[in-house]
Amino acid sequence: MATKIRILSICGSGVVTSSMVASKLRDMFAERGYDAETVEANSSEVESYCTRQHFDMIAYASPIGNNFGVPAFNAIGLITGMGEEEFMEEAIEALHKAGK
Amino acid sequence: MLRKDLIRLDLDVANREEAIRTLAEDFVQAGVVKPSFVDAVLEREQRSPTALPAIAYDIAIPHTVSAHVITPAMNVAVLKHPVEFRQMGSPEITLYPKVLFMLAISDPKDQLFLLRRIMKMLQNKELLNQVRGAQTKDEIYDFLKPVIDA
Repeated sequence: MATKIRILSICGSGVVTSSMVASKLRDMFAERGYDAETVEANSSEVESYCTRQHFDMIAYASPIGNNFGVPAFNAIGLITGMGEEEFMEEAIEALHKAGK
Repeated sequence: MLRKDLIRLDLDVANREEAIRTLAEDFVQAGVVKPSFVDAVLEREQRSPTALPAIAYDIAIPHTVSAHVITPAMNVAVLKHPVEFRQMGSPEITLYPKVLFMLAISDPKDQLFLLRRIMKMLQNKELLNQVRGAQTKDEIYDFLKPVIDA
């Protein structure tokens, strides 16, 4: 049974880049035994999403400013294809710390 | 999705705004976006930049929200001289893209397969080098068509 996680994927418009990142993350986490649910939003919506819903991490392609109490990772490497492994290492370490 | 008539080769622009405005107005002329797309995509680039340090060279993928889009489209511009952009996610970093891919996405869920193909293209070093080295619009179209509109 895959471990369920929730990821908030953030970009400037909450449409194009965040959808690319979210799609990539669902695939990469599935390969590692996680069932990732993604929510795509723009950077000004982060606070309201994080106060209303639980997320295991934020992947951002647009600066998000504050610390919202959720591990946050720069997702540019997922779009360029350089730094995917580093992203996943850090993300999975954060999940392990949270007991997932 | 990829429109041969919208490909720009040796586009001679002075700065980022002129580059984006030119491509966005091409989209308006072609009827793939509403006139409001032009200001929206410029404002978006200012607020949340779209340049990427891609594997072959710097690129940018200007785009904006779906409300301004009529039908999905992508155009390609190879600039005569690179112009200054800011890096996506890290606006303090300056990049000098030589190739721009402007995107018009009307429904990201419905067009996810396109977004995935575009992402594959952005990660394909050989393909990006072919685009930059192309001598004609036909060459660019022939390189990209099988990847984007497969």
